[in-house]
Amino acid sequence: MNILVCIKQVLAAAVRVFPDADTRWIRSDSDEYVMNRFDEFAVEAALQLREALSDGRVDVISVGPERAEAVIRRALGMGADDGIHIITKTCGPIPPAVTAALMAASVRNRNYDLILTGVMSEDDMNAQVGPAMAEMLDLPCATAVIQIERRGISTVYVEREMEGGMRDALEIRLPALLSVQSGAHPPRYPSLSRMLRANRRPIETIPSTDLGMTAPDIHVVRTAFPGKTRAGYFLEGSASEKAAQLLKIFQARSLMR
Amino acid sequence: MTSTILVIAEHADGQIRPVTGEIVACARQLQQLQPADIRIVVLGDPVETLAETLSQKTGLPVDAIRTPHLAEYHGDTYRDVLTDFIKELQPRYICAAHTSQGLDFAPGLAVRIKAACITGVEAIVEADGEICFTRRICGGKLTADIASPNAQIVLSVLPGSFSADSSNATTAGAICYRTAISETSARTIPCGVLRSSVKASGITEADVVVAAGRGIGDRENIALIHRLTALFSGSAVAGSRIVCDQGWLDYAQQVGVTGFSVQPALYIACGISGAVQHVSGMRASGFIVSINSDPNAAIFNVSDICIVEDLKTFIPLFIETATSPHPD
Ligand SMILES: Cc1cc2nc3c(=O)[nH]c(=O)nc-3n(C[C@H](O)[C@H](O)[C@H](O)COP(=O)(O)OP(=O)(O)OC[C@H]3O[C@@H](n4cnc5c(N)ncnc54)[C@H](O)[C@@H]3O)c2cc1C
Repeated sequence: MNILVCIKQVLAAAVRVFPDADTRWIRSDSDEYVMNRFDEFAVEAALQLREALSDGRVDVISVGPERAEAVIRRALGMGADDGIHIITKTCGPIPPAVTAALMAASVRNRNYDLILTGVMSEDDMNAQVGPAMAEMLDLPCATAVIQIERRGISTVYVEREMEGGMRDALEIRLPALLSVQSGAHPPRYPSLSRMLRANRRPIETIPSTDLGMTAPDIHVVRTAFPGKTRAGYFLEGSASEKAAQLLKIFQARSLMR
Repeated sequence: MTSTILVIAEHADGQIRPVTGEIVACARQLQQLQPADIRIVVLGDPVETLAETLSQKTGLPVDAIRTPHLAEYHGDTYRDVLTDFIKELQPRYICAAHTSQGLDFAPGLAVRIKAACITGVEAIVEADGEICFTRRICGGKLTADIASPNAQIVLSVLPGSFSADSSNATTAGAICYRTAISETSARTIPCGVLRSSVKASGITEADVVVAAGRGIGDRENIALIHRLTALFSGSAVAGSRIVCDQGWLDYAQQVGVTGFSVQPALYIACGISGAVQHVSGMRASGFIVSINSDPNAAIFNVSDICIVEDLKTFIPLFIETATSPHPD
């Protein structure tokens, strides 16, 4: 079974971000980028399928600027076979339908049996690229998948996660696309020797401009800090002063003796 | 010709989901900015009771599409049947729920009908003369207002963002029945709905819930959370999904949309970023205290008390303060 995993580079969760009026997008106080955590789970799921079946390959693809190469290298370090990088020029957000169309155009004739994406990206949080790409490639699709098992040569059994701990079970004919939800199989950490090897491997690059595609226009008008739904009172002073204030607050509200 | 805002009703287990009322509330708000008729569409088999509930509750016209063998949600069928219906009705806006159902069919539906798709809509505003849909980005730390000039727009409405009208409408809306001719899709075969065997581990009854997020950094630091929890009576330890995925806590302790909802008198969030999926499970708590090293963490927007500190040093310090004999 040949598997393709779509991965994205995102700002690390701990990086501080600010609205930026000039670009109508965001500014950050550091450029610490990482692989989208949900995509790490997708890569892990693909590697486990390859190991269970002991055949086939796992390739990864990413749409993003030059720096996105780092997440492709990381996926190779985790154990993926080959990487494809669709290089974009823009620094702003790419509409999810555009990302999906770019990847669909470049993998259409590559005969993957299974395409995996993360359930959503931690930065744009659209949760659209996977299901949109499935439609563009006319593939059956399931989202928020937490269990994948091969059934025979042409089918996978999957469980999708729904609200309140319920799961929706499906049998899906291959080729198919699944968006993977995080779960109880934490992504492996690339070993140093694997990373060194991964860093020497060639990566196929495709300029996004070569793929000519259109998608309905959606654009960002402005970004902002969200409003508060509660008092949001920030304690001031040294750490010990804050601890003393917090204790007083708990005592005053009889939450603590 | 007036344009139409189409609401796609969500149901499961034969019941209309409460989020449907919230989608209607979103549609009504949109109607203020863009005059249009609102219609509700519901798919199912049987569909009669669902349609009657919708028409009585909202007073809006309902298109009930009897879809043979479709008792529960099925992505391929939803996309097929809705595409045909939308091609005929030509609504300007198509509003679904930002849930495991809506997110499964809406992006693909948008591609098929060549509509723009905006997910996770939590507010509607007008800016620069354009109707904008507000949604969260960056794990909830910021919002972005999104607009589209496209002739058709598919929206997914974030649960908990628009308040549904709880009273019944004075006059029921007209129901228009039709039957869909959907070939049972051979590419995705439903194998049933599985119910989780995970039971909440006392976090739903506790008066005080102390929750650990990825900010605790290491499995060892769970001990810190336990020590903090032990200071309170009637208390329990909970966690974000990431912490449960890591195996640092059990899934029975997970708070959020895909975990459990809690409403303790006090909720202490330690190293939790405040993603909507987590917040929806704890925002009803009586008093919320958050400890996070990032002053812009989204959790602070839903907190009563905000503490910008490294939890690894602050929690031990607090425990020491709380357990040392009082100077006064
Ligand atoms: C369909 C779906 C369903 C989901 N369901 C749920 C759900 O039910 N429950 C849930 O929780 N999540 C759920 N999620 C995941 C959710 O989107 C977030 O990814 C998750 O809640 C983030 O967990 P976190 O806050 O622990 O981690 P992060 O987002 O990584 O945040 C860690 C926080 O810790 C802070 N921090 C780091 N170091 C320190 C330190 N030393 N001291 C203090 N603070 C520190 C950081 O500033 C950051 O704010 C779901 C996601 C999807 C897509």
